[in-house]
Amino acid sequence: MTVKTESEKKYIPEISQKEIEELKNSIQATSTKVIAEYIERMKRGWPNRPEAMQYFDEIANFFGTRGKEICEAKEEGRKVIGYTCMFAPIELILAADAIPLRVSSGWYDPAKLGNRVVPVEICPVIRSTIGVKIIGLSPYLELSDAVITTLTCDGMTKLSEILGDYKPVWTICPPRIKDSEQSMAFWREELKTVKEKIEKLTGTKITSKKLRSAIELMHKAAKAFRKLQDVRKGHPVIMGRDAMLVNQASMWDDIERWTRKTEELCAELEKRAKEKVWACPPDTPRVMITGTPIIWPDNWKLPNLIEEANPQGVIVADELCSGDRFLYDPVGVDEWTMDDMFNAVAERYLLPSTCPCFTSEDGNEDRVNWLITKVKERRVDGVIYYVVRGCMLYAMEYMRIKKVLDKLNVPVYYLDTDYTREDTGQIKTRVEAFLEMLKSRVEI
Amino acid sequence: MGTISMGILAILIWVKDKTKKVTYLRLFIQIVSVPLIFLGLIIGPFGLPQFPSVGNAPRDVVIGTDIFGRPFPDGLSVPILACWYPSGRTVTCPVWQMQAYIYPFWDSGPGFGWGVIYTTSGLERLAIVFGLVIIMAIILGRAFCGWICPFGLYMDLLSYFRKALRKPHFKLSDKVNVGLRQLRYVIIAIFMVLSVILGSQAIFGAQLVSGTQRGEYLYSYLSAPYCQICPMRPICVLAEVGLGAMNSTFVFSHTTGILYEAGYYITSINMAILIFVTVGAIAFRRFWCRVCPVGALTGVFSRFAPFKWVSVVRLNKDKEKCTKCGICKRVCPPQITEVYEKNGGDVTTSACILCLRCVEMCPYEDCLKVNMAGKTIFKSRNWLNSK
Repeated sequence: MTVKTESEKKYIPEISQKEIEELKNSIQATSTKVIAEYIERMKRGWPNRPEAMQYFDEIANFFGTRGKEICEAKEEGRKVIGYTCMFAPIELILAADAIPLRVSSGWYDPAKLGNRVVPVEICPVIRSTIGVKIIGLSPYLELSDAVITTLTCDGMTKLSEILGDYKPVWTICPPRIKDSEQSMAFWREELKTVKEKIEKLTGTKITSKKLRSAIELMHKAAKAFRKLQDVRKGHPVIMGRDAMLVNQASMWDDIERWTRKTEELCAELEKRAKEKVWACPPDTPRVMITGTPIIWPDNWKLPNLIEEANPQGVIVADELCSGDRFLYDPVGVDEWTMDDMFNAVAERYLLPSTCPCFTSEDGNEDRVNWLITKVKERRVDGVIYYVVRGCMLYAMEYMRIKKVLDKLNVPVYYLDTDYTREDTGQIKTRVEAFLEMLKSRVEI
Repeated sequence: MGTISMGILAILIWVKDKTKKVTYLRLFIQIVSVPLIFLGLIIGPFGLPQFPSVGNAPRDVVIGTDIFGRPFPDGLSVPILACWYPSGRTVTCPVWQMQAYIYPFWDSGPGFGWGVIYTTSGLERLAIVFGLVIIMAIILGRAFCGWICPFGLYMDLLSYFRKALRKPHFKLSDKVNVGLRQLRYVIIAIFMVLSVILGSQAIFGAQLVSGTQRGEYLYSYLSAPYCQICPMRPICVLAEVGLGAMNSTFVFSHTTGILYEAGYYITSINMAILIFVTVGAIAFRRFWCRVCPVGALTGVFSRFAPFKWVSVVRLNKDKEKCTKCGICKRVCPPQITEVYEKNGGDVTTSACILCLRCVEMCPYEDCLKVNMAGKTIFKSRNWLNSK
């Protein structure tokens, strides 16, 4: 697809090339600074940070080596397929020998730019992604040959239209009710269409052999992913934000290498658990975050605040589609036939999802169950319900979750914020007050 | 016994992949069960024609009497499709026994085949059959279907054949599947009633259908009405003829009428249903299990109150650990949806053959559990660790 001219663009207002250049330069400079600063803070926050973390710091740098690597792969003829939500079938992308990259943005400054296209009430994830695309900030979004968007919330729905001004956008529409025959049939068709599009773009036919090796590759990744979650069950051997960074790196990194590096990190962490070398005092309040996806880098505000607060908290679990949920569920293949593999992939992306865009007779029961399991398994002391302004679905589910967690006698704190860096001081006070309360509970 | 336990041990040790362990273990047990079910055939005098004058059947060496010390000539009744008609019946299908003890073996005296003399009355024998089936169904439930039944093995092998061809399986719609589940009870009821009608002479002393008296035409042909349609009978009889344990001239020479074209032991309906089920079992997994009357008999004890309260083997689900990922539903051979749909707790159903494929494939630690008398014997694991 050729690049659309200014007049062909449906949404994006006319912005002069000069202004775009200027904005990009200034925002990229800020972003580079922010990334470096956040990594520095993570290093400071965890004095005996393992060597293995270094690798993930490099991956976390958007303007670093990974971008160049993808460029080289593209020159060799490989295609890059971006996606905004975790509904995009990574196995299918890998099976077509393309590179999957998550392109939803966590940058604050481009969100302001997004205000020129959509109102400020819209969730900053959407606004920021639009802004990033306008100035071409994210190398991953720029390198994508196509973007798979999922029509989960209203923001994502319109985001796919807006991104369509720049790139081929393939939308997949998840049915709002998961567990019915017709929903599954519809979803399968949606993925079949995407599969055909992937095959057409890459020119590679997804054979059963290729799909099988992609599934097995993702099994290995999921195994490492789960291992990392499992080490967080006991006393803290890894700081929460570091674990979250490792989780996020899987969205951009070469999955095979990521698996290897994560296994290395887990081996180190397991050793530490045996030697009783803790990342922070074992009586640190154990916090869980649930709600809107937290995306590196600017969105790291909250994890930073929790783990640098006084009293300090440690994030032991999260229920975020950019976090613990991302690779947790494996594709369960019964028979290695193309048909069953495809169904397994389709089911894996729809059914275990706890996204609040779903409902059923019991409401979003899956999310409730996930939270209860994680709260019990990780011995969570308190839950921070994180909602960015404009994230209606997560905001509206709060009461349901609160009532469930109240029954478990786990305090919940509703924290609404934005990508903005300006409210850091205020949020800090709120987080510290909550942690203070948790601390006193832990001590009792 | 030693070899079997060695085999089980070898599978437990060598099969590292946790998603295949139980499947292989089950296949192994199914295969070793076949010679055990037809043990009489192996140890007994081999190659005998089946005539009443032969005397004691080889199986009598193994299981000669029941627990009360009375002769038990038809083999141990185990709730699986293990046919009575071949000569090596160490173990027999309870559906045959129920029908035959209502009619034509209601009274004590000589039965046919092997020159058996029944010293107990039909009522007593029925009590023994029911008693055994009830005890077994309580202890192991439909695990008999999944782990021992030779016809189940036949269908599983057909599934392996289909898998080798890399062809997908078909699915019945949930509605049809549930409908068939109800149909099982109708089937078994019809044949029981039919047995009573045919055996009316012996039971009530009045003949409801003419020609059904001892020695008359229909007497030996309709001795067990269900067996005339069962798909297992031709397999057993033909296999035995092939092995030379049954006289082929004897089997194939009794051709009377269109129904008995292939001989006395294999009716045309038998053959037609066998072919239908064979084709069906290639396309669908565990095709026959969905309507099997033997399974219905055992299934009653895993599903319906008050029977299910005493049943020992139960499948349990932890609601909170379940993410409703749908794997259990997709991998289930008889297409049970309850494990997926039910909100936790006891999820055993009458259609469940306890093959434990769902438990094995469930990727969430401790979510699905198999409890035996309240004790967990197997539970779902994070099988990614074994990959």
